[in-house]
Amino acid sequence: MDLVQMNERVPEALFLVGDNPFHGISHLSQERARARGEGAGSSEKAAEVVLTSLQNSANGFTFSVSELTLSILRFIRKRRSDNLDLYPMVPYAFEYVRIATQTGTPGLVKKLAKQIVMSGGPRAVAIGAKAVMTMNPSNLLSTYLTYEISRVKSSAGKNMNLVSLILNEVMTDMALGLNLDWLFEAYVKFLSRRDIIPGFNTRNFPFFVQKFKEWNIDTRNIIVATPFNKAGFQMNPSKQECEKTLADLSSPIVLAISILAAGYLKPSAAIEYLTDLPNLKGIVAGVSTEQQARTTFTLLNESFRNAK
Amino acid sequence: MDTIRIAVVGLGKMGLLHASILNFFPAVRLTALCDKSGLMVRIARKVFSQAGIRVVSGLEELADLDLDAVYVTTPISSHSAIARFIYKNGMARHLFVEKTLAPNYAEADELCRLVPQESVNMVGYMKRFSVTFGKAKDLITRGVLKEVTSFRAYAYSSDFMGDSKSSKTSGARGGPLRDLGCHVIDLALWFFGDFNVVSGANEAASGTTAGNSEFFRVQRSDGLEGEFDISQCMKDYRMPEIGLTIQGSNGTIKVNDDMAQLEESNTGKSTTWYRHDLNDNVDFWLGETEYFREDQHFINAILKHEKCEPSFLTAARVDSIIDKVRHMHGSGSNE
Repeated sequence: MDLVQMNERVPEALFLVGDNPFHGISHLSQERARARGEGAGSSEKAAEVVLTSLQNSANGFTFSVSELTLSILRFIRKRRSDNLDLYPMVPYAFEYVRIATQTGTPGLVKKLAKQIVMSGGPRAVAIGAKAVMTMNPSNLLSTYLTYEISRVKSSAGKNMNLVSLILNEVMTDMALGLNLDWLFEAYVKFLSRRDIIPGFNTRNFPFFVQKFKEWNIDTRNIIVATPFNKAGFQMNPSKQECEKTLADLSSPIVLAISILAAGYLKPSAAIEYLTDLPNLKGIVAGVSTEQQARTTFTLLNESFRNAK
Repeated sequence: MDTIRIAVVGLGKMGLLHASILNFFPAVRLTALCDKSGLMVRIARKVFSQAGIRVVSGLEELADLDLDAVYVTTPISSHSAIARFIYKNGMARHLFVEKTLAPNYAEADELCRLVPQESVNMVGYMKRFSVTFGKAKDLITRGVLKEVTSFRAYAYSSDFMGDSKSSKTSGARGGPLRDLGCHVIDLALWFFGDFNVVSGANEAASGTTAGNSEFFRVQRSDGLEGEFDISQCMKDYRMPEIGLTIQGSNGTIKVNDDMAQLEESNTGKSTTWYRHDLNDNVDFWLGETEYFREDQHFINAILKHEKCEPSFLTAARVDSIIDKVRHMHGSGSNE
């Protein structure tokens, strides 16, 4: 599938419901995160929040691939027969960092290899074993991505579309820092061949765009999820630089995350800022209750429709 | 010096994080990576083969690389041995060691004596580079509280919550004081200057289990009193959190990773600064903004031939405090 066809799969305006509140994440304060964690409740409750968002103008779900979010997908599958667009993010860095803390990095690598082998059929095992034997980084990456895609697909069922697979910000930014152009090329190539739009989450948006230009990687084929908010929170190196980079872009598909600056901004002020930004294709919003889902996505839809 | 040639020893998450940030600086040439794990070396050789970064499994292999600086990011138990080896063999003049400097004060002290002249040396107490703790330091330095009378410091995480082998695992990482509590001890020393350990208990005030928790009190001759509560098995601390409540004759400062708050007793005024209010952006983000500032501080000190803090000598005070607490608990200096 070429670029134009791939982009046609993405709605004109993307309003994605995010999963951070379900994990009890708040970048404003740990205290708030703990309160969220206690109130987050079950995956069934989270699934209801996602479903309510979808009934109120959200047109996709983005989430870190974890046992919790896979369980949410299974609940949604039972409740919804319409198609649902998915934008999962891998790896779920929190879990892997936790394992690395407890076992060390070699322990993490061994545990992940074991999980991949245990999860796959004979072919997957053979491909994985070959990748491990040769230690070819591109093959190791392909094996890992195959594993994550199969996890998502087996939980999501046939009525959900895997539109994009987004590389977690820690992985993206670490690879940027280490100048690992081969990793980005291999990631883009592997996913594009499978009709999945390669996605990247980054907190270094201008640097990301600069490096992709330098490496001659076609940015028209990708999704970039990156912070955009009135407070300039997590917009590195500066709010101005990020805005300028966005304004100068003709592609890729840019999704704004951290739009409320982790609860620091009021939704109306936050959305007013976003509607003024050129070249923004979509927005990711985390909501923790059905009421929040209704108000947030209705407001987003109305604001962006009026702004056009 | 135009280009600083750096090697990173230890390819765990901290080693990879520092390597990524260092590689961002135009003045840095990431020259080599070193790890004793055969698995990590094999993977790293494949990953970095095109980048011109040498990957080695033994420290001695760094000898011929004309290094200016080395980052030591291995487990705490090996920090001082590796740093000694580098200094004694003249492999690099400048050293950055992740926290804590050493597994005990005796080794930290010995290392301080080996530091060559004109060496820039630093320990990874990155919380000093957080905008919220920086704000608290600024308020204290400006005398906003007038006389500081007492403080309560905490460091909590859920890292070993529900892990049946947690005490053993935590111990392998240096125990709760070295693995987590050292950050808040360093901050307290930075904020208030030196103090003495006067009592301690082998469990946190929060009541979490022994082995992963510590509680102790400190005092100073001028009347300053403080207490530390450390636990690695607190419920719902998805991310580790450290903080202090500082009482002064003119009010209170509450500070943690997310915000600094000043309550002035004479006016009743309360002001809160979140990270958002404190210009928390950096040229290159990875992990937390403080990691970039910390590495930038070290690199700039080398380029400008300046000393930088926290130096080995400063950081050794943390090792001394931890040893005293451990001694008070009757478990010797090695956790």
